[in-house]
Amino acid sequence: MNLYRPELKRFRFLRWFDFRSWRLGMLAYILNRVTAIGLVVYLYLHLAVLFLLAQGPSGWDPFIQIARTPWFLMLDVILLAGLLIHGLNGLRVALTGFGYGVRSQKPLFIALMIFAAIVLAVGVFKMFMG
Amino acid sequence: MSLQVTLKILRSRPHQEQRYDTFDVTVPDAANVLDAIEQAWAHHDRDLMFRHACHHASCGTCAVRINGREKLPCIAPVKDYDGGEIKIEPLRNFPIVGDLVVDVAPFFQNQEASDFIITRPTENELDGKAIAHTQGLDPESAPTVPFNRFENCVECGICLSACPTMSADYKFFGPAGLAAIKRQLDKTTDANEREKLLHLADDEHGVWRCHSAWECTEACPQSVFPAESIMALRKEINAQRFKKFFRL
Amino acid sequence: MKNKKSSWGWFWQSVTGILLILLVGLHMIAHHFVAEGGIRDFQQVIAYLSNPIIILTELAFLISVTVHAMLGMRSILFDLGLSPQWERVVTYGVVVIGGLTVLYGFWLTYAILAQGSAPTAFLFR
Repeated sequence: MNLYRPELKRFRFLRWFDFRSWRLGMLAYILNRVTAIGLVVYLYLHLAVLFLLAQGPSGWDPFIQIARTPWFLMLDVILLAGLLIHGLNGLRVALTGFGYGVRSQKPLFIALMIFAAIVLAVGVFKMFMG
Repeated sequence: MSLQVTLKILRSRPHQEQRYDTFDVTVPDAANVLDAIEQAWAHHDRDLMFRHACHHASCGTCAVRINGREKLPCIAPVKDYDGGEIKIEPLRNFPIVGDLVVDVAPFFQNQEASDFIITRPTENELDGKAIAHTQGLDPESAPTVPFNRFENCVECGICLSACPTMSADYKFFGPAGLAAIKRQLDKTTDANEREKLLHLADDEHGVWRCHSAWECTEACPQSVFPAESIMALRKEINAQRFKKFFRL
Repeated sequence: MKNKKSSWGWFWQSVTGILLILLVGLHMIAHHFVAEGGIRDFQQVIAYLSNPIIILTELAFLISVTVHAMLGMRSILFDLGLSPQWERVVTYGVVVIGGLTVLYGFWLTYAILAQGSAPTAFLFR
């Protein structure tokens, strides 16, 4: 099918983000895509950092001094939020695709996101206070 | 009483720059947006290309985007767009013929891929429930009275325009086409026919391509629930896979 | 249409996705919430990896996360509206990148265990 979207000819990836409607399903789709890209970037950063482990204590232990600072923990909060949003929203996609909760995908999404917020709050509390 | 509105209509012609034209029109209080477009055509610019037929949401011909959202202008009250300007653009994800008219051929090709027809076979029940017969009809004779219902889908193309996957992947089969497959599936118990239909849906750019944004169902003016159909097809295909796997 | 292959991408995306909810959960809890100070030092990593079940879980995590990420990236790239040729390039591309990622993960596990004298190091010798 031939597309006619002259406004998006140059930046085709903008078609991923249809901001016209802020309905829940659309929001879920955009959130899923943003977190997906973020998590893949994180995955490879993580694997690269783990290379330090291969160099033994002299490579790894200086790194964990940085990793234990509050500023670094802030990045962990972002990671945790991304994982929760992506994972639980993905659960909605998988469940509806297997025929569960199709007619109640909106409440399902809201419930999962509330759950995500609770887990995030608990996680942040544990990270900084625990 | 009458309403003053300004229409801002996207004008396109082949090989010409697109532009927005504004038309100030006066319409009756109860007018719908389509009436306003007709006013613009009748009194301001006979070159304006738009398309319509029935004026009551049963032909699906006039679908456009009103202030960015896909709507049937024939049932969209002007009153709902209080505050002056109404932006009217053609549907997305279709080739534009001119102004508000798009080429819907690709839509119908996918509708026909599953031999979808817009009339339902004669039936006495709807979705498993007996149809409440017209008052006054002799109940004795009721079951023998043939019902010839139309499918819900009015083939307006709104779901394809609203779908974010459709605008990203031009090969996507589209919500309407997939909903048509689901309807055909519901109509048959023939194993071969069902297999063929599921095979048609089971494609990289078919039922699996959908990103579950549910925009088609939200935008559909006729309760076709295309997203739910897509999920039902996925469930059906997944169930088949499980059956096949565990029988081995 | 006759030679059309059915598509398993979504299926495996979902299966690995559901697996990952468990495995990521375990991974995060094990590495950041149970571990002292939110992250293990080298000796603690070696001690942690002395359990073969932990190693198997981590490797299962590695494989599922790679499969999930590659299928996801493929799907996202397909959303650029690619020609069939480019779609093939992307498909082969994610297979190669995914394969290399898993190989790197296995090598890394071996290298870490070889560094310390973990009791399970023999598994990788």
